[in-house]
Amino acid sequence: MASVLKLRQLRKSYREADGNLLDVIHINQLSLTHGDQIALVGQSGSGKSTLLNLIAGIQLPDAGEILVNDTDVTKLSEAARDRFRAANIGYIFQSFNLLQGFTALENVLLGQMFANGSNGGDRAVQLLETVGLGKRLHHKPRTLSIGEQQRVAIARALVNAPPLVLADEPTASLDAKNGAEVLALIRRVCADGRHTLLLVTHDQQVMRSFKSVIPLEDLQ
Amino acid sequence: MTLFTIITKNMRQRALATTLTTVSVALAVALTVAIVHIKRGMEDRFQQSTVGYEMVVGAKGSPLQLVLNTVFNLDISPGNIPWPVVEKLRADKRVKAAVPLSVGDNYHGFRIIGTTDEFGEAFGYRLASGRWFNFSMDALRDAFSEANEHAHERIAKEHGLKPIGHAVHHHAASEAVIGATVAHETGLRVGQTFIAAHGLEATPDAEQHTDNPWTIVGILAATGTAVDRGLYINLDSFYHIEGHEVRDVVKIGASQKGPQKKEEKDNDPDPGQVSAVALKLSSPLYALGLYREINDGADAMAAFPAVEIRKLFSIVGNIDIILLAQAILIGIVAGVAIAVSIYNSMSERRREIAILRALGARRGVIFAIVVLEAVSICAIGGVLGIAGGHVIVAGANTVLHRVSGFTVEPLSFQAVELLIIAGCIVLGALSGIGPAARAYRTEVAEHLAPMT
Repeated sequence: MASVLKLRQLRKSYREADGNLLDVIHINQLSLTHGDQIALVGQSGSGKSTLLNLIAGIQLPDAGEILVNDTDVTKLSEAARDRFRAANIGYIFQSFNLLQGFTALENVLLGQMFANGSNGGDRAVQLLETVGLGKRLHHKPRTLSIGEQQRVAIARALVNAPPLVLADEPTASLDAKNGAEVLALIRRVCADGRHTLLLVTHDQQVMRSFKSVIPLEDLQ
Repeated sequence: MTLFTIITKNMRQRALATTLTTVSVALAVALTVAIVHIKRGMEDRFQQSTVGYEMVVGAKGSPLQLVLNTVFNLDISPGNIPWPVVEKLRADKRVKAAVPLSVGDNYHGFRIIGTTDEFGEAFGYRLASGRWFNFSMDALRDAFSEANEHAHERIAKEHGLKPIGHAVHHHAASEAVIGATVAHETGLRVGQTFIAAHGLEATPDAEQHTDNPWTIVGILAATGTAVDRGLYINLDSFYHIEGHEVRDVVKIGASQKGPQKKEEKDNDPDPGQVSAVALKLSSPLYALGLYREINDGADAMAAFPAVEIRKLFSIVGNIDIILLAQAILIGIVAGVAIAVSIYNSMSERRREIAILRALGARRGVIFAIVVLEAVSICAIGGVLGIAGGHVIVAGANTVLHRVSGFTVEPLSFQAVELLIIAGCIVLGALSGIGPAARAYRTEVAEHLAPMT
C-alpha cells in the first residue's frame, strides 16, 4: 500500500545559547499508510511539536526526507510548501489557534481559502454539523466553550479533505470529559474520511485509546 | 471568504485606531479638495467673466480696481471719464464696440449699471425672457443737457442769481434688464418695477430714488458671471436720477458739504461722464497700440481684464500653495499615524499571522493583507475626505457669495480628485510597507506554540 507519510534520516537540531547544538529530532524511518491512526508519544520537550512542524513544512529539517503522498516537502520552495500544506495537511493544535475575530464558519472557511481559494461553504457547514456545531456556525470563538473551539479546529483541519491530519496534543487544553469526546471525534471523522492521523501526545489516557502507539525515542 | 473579508475583520478589530486614522486622512483630503475646488472655481468664474471684455477704459488709477469694478461689479469705481473719450472710442475704426457703463446705485445690494442696448450683443449675453430696453443717443444727449441745466439752476439758486430757465425735456421710458441671480433672489419679473437706492452697497439709511422707478423689460439668461448680479438700465435714465446731475455743484462746494458728499462724488458719474467703457476690438492686433495710446493720454486709462485677473491670481496663488502644503503635511502625518498604528498592532497580531501561515497563507499574502489594510484606510479616508471637501465648498459658498458675488458648484467633480484618491492609495501603500515587512518576517512555529 502506498505511503501517505514517509520520513527518512530526519534530523533537526537547535543551537543553544552556549553555542552547543541540541539534537531535537533524529528519526531513521517512519512510514504511515492510508487510513492509519498513529499516536506518537514522548515527554514534554522531546520534539513532538517540532516533528509535526517539520512534516507540515512550517520548519525545515537539517537533513533527511519528508515524503507526503510521495512529495518531498523539504525540496519545495517556501511558497510551494505553503500551498502543499494547505491542500494536503490538516493541522489540529493544542491551543486550537482559532482567529478570534472570525465566526466558527469563517474559521473553517479560512482553512479552505488558502488551499484552492474556493468560497463554497457547503463542506465547511457539513463538517461543523458533523462535529456538533450546526447551530453555532456564526458564533465567535469567545462565545464557544473550549471543547466547542477544538471542534471548530477539527472541522477546519478536515475542510480540504487532506490525506494527512496532524494533531498536536489536541486534548491537552481540555478537561477529561471534553478531551475524551474530542479525541473520539477526531478518530471517528478521520476514519470516516479515510484520513491518515498522526497524533502526538504525552497523555497516557490518549495513548491507551490508540492501537498503534510509537514512542518517539524508538524511531531513533 | 476573501482577502477583503480578512482585511475588513482586521480593521473592525482595531475599530478605534482605524476610525481615528481614517478621519485624519479624510480631514487632509477634505481640506485639499476644498482648496483646489474653491481656487479653480473662482479662477474659472473670474476668467469666464472676462471673456468678451478685451479691454476696459476708465479713470486713471488702479487697473485692477477698474477691472474689478467694470467686469466683476466689485470694489468702488476709480472715478469717471469724460463722455468725449467714449465718443472718440466709438468713432475709432479699431474698436468694434465701445459700451459705456455707469455705476452709482443699487437695488437690495445688486448693482445698477447704466449702459446702452449694445451691451448684450457686444458681449454675448442672451435674454431668457423679454427684450432689451430702448436706448438712443439723442435721449442720452438730452439727458446730459437736462442734467447740466439742473446743475446751473442749482448753482444760480445757491448764489442768489435768477435761473436762466430750461428747455422742455421728454424722458424716454426708464427700463431695465436684470441678471438671472437678481431675478432669482429678488423675485423680480418682467413687467414689475423697482426703485434704486443710492450707493453701491445696500445700507439701511440709503437714499431711495422713489421719483424714478424702472420697469423690467427683460431677464438675462444665467451666465455664471458677475452679469447675473447686475441690473442694467438705459444709460439716459441713469442721469434722470435725482442727484446724478449735481456733480459740478459738489465740486464747487465740496469744502462745505462734508465727507458724505465726497463719497457720492467717488461713486456717481458726472453729467457727460461715465464710469468706464468696455471695448471689443476689430482685431486683437490693435490691442497693444490702442492700450498704449489711451494710457499715454491724460483723460483715461486702459486695462486688459484677463491680464489683471491673471496678476490677481498669481498673488492669491501663493496663499493657496501654503494652504495646500499644510493639507499635504496633514496627509503625511496621517500616513505616519497609520503606519505606527498598524505597526504597533503587529505584536498582538503575530499569532493570527502565524495561524494564517499555518493554514497555507504565503508570506506574500500576509504582506498584501497588511498593505491592503493601510490602503483601505487611506482610500476610505480619501473618499470621505472628497465628500467632506464638497460639503466644505457648499458651506463656504455663503462667504464666497458675500465677498466676491460668485459661488463654486459644490457637486462638480474635478479630475484632480481622482489624483487625490490615487495619492491616498500610494500613501496607504507606503504606510503599510513597514508593518507588512514585520508581518512578512513573522516566525510561524514560534508563534503557534500554546500560550503560557
